[in-house]
Amino acid sequence: MLDFIISKYNYWMYIILMMLGFYGMIAKKNLIKKVIGMNIFQTAIILFFISTAAKRGATIPIVEHGHGEAVHAIHAIEYVNPLPHVLMLTAIVVMVSTLGVALAILIMIYRRYNTLEEDEILQVKGK
Amino acid sequence: MIVMIVGAMLIYGTLDMPKWADPNAPAALHVSPRYIEKTLEETATPNVVTSVLADYRGYDTLGETSVIFTAGISCILLLRKKKRENSGGR
Amino acid sequence: MERIISNSPVLIVVIPLISAFLTLVIGLWKKRLCYPLVIIALSLSVLSSIIMLNTVISKGTIHYYLGNWDPPWGIEYVVDHFNAFIAIIVSFMSLFAAIYAKRSVEQELPEKIVYFYTIFLLLVTGLFGIIVTGDMFNLYVFVEISSLAGYALIAVGGGRAPLASFKYVVMGTIGACFYLIGLGYLYIVTGSLNMGDLRILLPPLYASRVVQTAFVFILIGFGIKIALFPLHTWQPDAYTYAPSVVSVIISTAMAKTFIYALIRLIFSVFTVDFVRLFVPIFDIICWISAIAMIFGSIYAIKQFNLKRMLAYSSIANVGYIVLGIGLSTSTTLGLTPALMHILNHAVMKGCMFMTACAFIYKAGLRDIRDFVGLGRRMPYTCFAFILAALAMIGMPPSVGFVTKWYLIIAALEAGKYIFVAVIFFSTLLMIVYFWNVIEIMYIRPAEKMVGDESRLLTPELTDGGQVRNEIKVDEGPVSMLIPGLVLALLCFVIGIAWISGILSPILKGVNSTFGLGVVS
Repeated sequence: MLDFIISKYNYWMYIILMMLGFYGMIAKKNLIKKVIGMNIFQTAIILFFISTAAKRGATIPIVEHGHGEAVHAIHAIEYVNPLPHVLMLTAIVVMVSTLGVALAILIMIYRRYNTLEEDEILQVKGK
Repeated sequence: MIVMIVGAMLIYGTLDMPKWADPNAPAALHVSPRYIEKTLEETATPNVVTSVLADYRGYDTLGETSVIFTAGISCILLLRKKKRENSGGR
Repeated sequence: MERIISNSPVLIVVIPLISAFLTLVIGLWKKRLCYPLVIIALSLSVLSSIIMLNTVISKGTIHYYLGNWDPPWGIEYVVDHFNAFIAIIVSFMSLFAAIYAKRSVEQELPEKIVYFYTIFLLLVTGLFGIIVTGDMFNLYVFVEISSLAGYALIAVGGGRAPLASFKYVVMGTIGACFYLIGLGYLYIVTGSLNMGDLRILLPPLYASRVVQTAFVFILIGFGIKIALFPLHTWQPDAYTYAPSVVSVIISTAMAKTFIYALIRLIFSVFTVDFVRLFVPIFDIICWISAIAMIFGSIYAIKQFNLKRMLAYSSIANVGYIVLGIGLSTSTTLGLTPALMHILNHAVMKGCMFMTACAFIYKAGLRDIRDFVGLGRRMPYTCFAFILAALAMIGMPPSVGFVTKWYLIIAALEAGKYIFVAVIFFSTLLMIVYFWNVIEIMYIRPAEKMVGDESRLLTPELTDGGQVRNEIKVDEGPVSMLIPGLVLALLCFVIGIAWISGILSPILKGVNSTFGLGVVS
């Protein structure tokens, strides 16, 4: 049982973090809190992916070489899996772009209604 | 409430996953070894992350650049205020 | 020429992307040139999609390796019958929307025209990228491109549009992130990101809980994006407050592309065998779609704002398509009803949104109750609306009739008679709400004019789109009228095409690719 928990706890931590962000996105009424929840949710997904790339006893995925020398054999098992890192670089960029567009929309809302609480905005009629 | 259900589903899904930092996990055995082993021959870049990002999966990087472009132009589209009437037409 | 044909899957994505950049540069230099550039770019996309369809029908599935790296180490573009079909729908609808856009954008957003067209082309780029790709992470990147473009385009409408768009931002991001979680789970147990590769690697793992959880999350993720019933709450506001062109393009092209992505993921990655093992899921989908059909139609009856009514009607029609998906494993027709309704609904809903927005452009009329006597003043536009309404209700030989017919046959073959009843009931509800509008437009006599309604009465009546004087309400401008009329006529022409079987090679191709059409 303990072995089970230790081998999987990384996934569970990130899932709890994701759920905190998700709760913020759907349950809070202030629009800024929703955006912050969105950011936490997406960051937790990125961390989740990266945690799957680790290998016990392996080093960072940069292969050492020398110019023109005989290169020793490269074993994939010594290096951390690079593919999730690559995917998450793109995902981080996407996350930041979405955050930017969401905040731009919030600025538009603030200019028009002068408040950022969802309840108050829904009560303003016809604007 | 919904949050609990979603979280429970996600944790249910992890029960069959490979252990953390297992060097024999399928994720590390199928596609990635070729990236690491052949990166110097095929791309002459010692940094495997760069070679994957710019060479094997370069198209994703093009997509990512388009995402930044879209977000930038969206912000201009959304936030530009009206010019005042007495400025010249553009 | 040979080069162009063999590279067409990439060209269809790259042409709008480069044109978006060129539109920005050229538009900032001379504003008048950006609109012709948009039309040229979209026409080239239409051409590429026709070339792709031709190649697929004559030579079979196209596999295109980007950068010449073999999959699964590189990214692959796979174009088969289904892809080419959806690519043609999206390219034609975006061309029509662009032709329609000229006057409408000039009225609604006069100082932001260049940026609007840039983002419009980027939306189309994202949609084509989703359609042709064969790699799961590439799909995520292009989903985000089109989603970001969509958020921005919806938010520039006036009034409550920013709030509607914000709701869409939150829910759309949840959807995309659920898809990313599902994709991550699949990657963890297989190590591959290529759709064809996953199809080969997954069958030994079907019993594993990771794969099942991944399936559910991908389903929910795309369900949010297509506005399937319980996850639809962003859609009415977003369609209602968006600018006119944006309503046209997102209700036709964007929604259909996400439905395509869902079908592709269910049937190409998790093949039909998985769905049969994981038995109850398609039954649940059928029930959810039945509730969507009835719920959408009931809410549409209660609406007075025309665009809001059309938005709820879209929810009901997505229910039809998902019902077609849900029934596809139990009948010999396979995915035929779902595919038909994808094309048919795009054409019908495109026409209706174009006419609804022509009313807004010309006279600022949003509320149905103000449409009194409009049938005489804008005859061609109202005629297009009537044709499209008849098509949606399902008069033969229009497209609506064809898809309801095939759906009923599929439900009967599957032995689930309750869905036949649901289809009939929702058709009845559709008749109610469309008759409401048509009655007010044509039949109800003008009551006494109060307040500012008197400005709608004109001393002279016109008979076409060429009169240009200060009459407040006359026929819509020609550039907005022609796409609407063409689509309305297409509603019936395509119906005849389906019935006569011209398009059946495509349907056979799709069903055989997915292994459907054989009842176990």
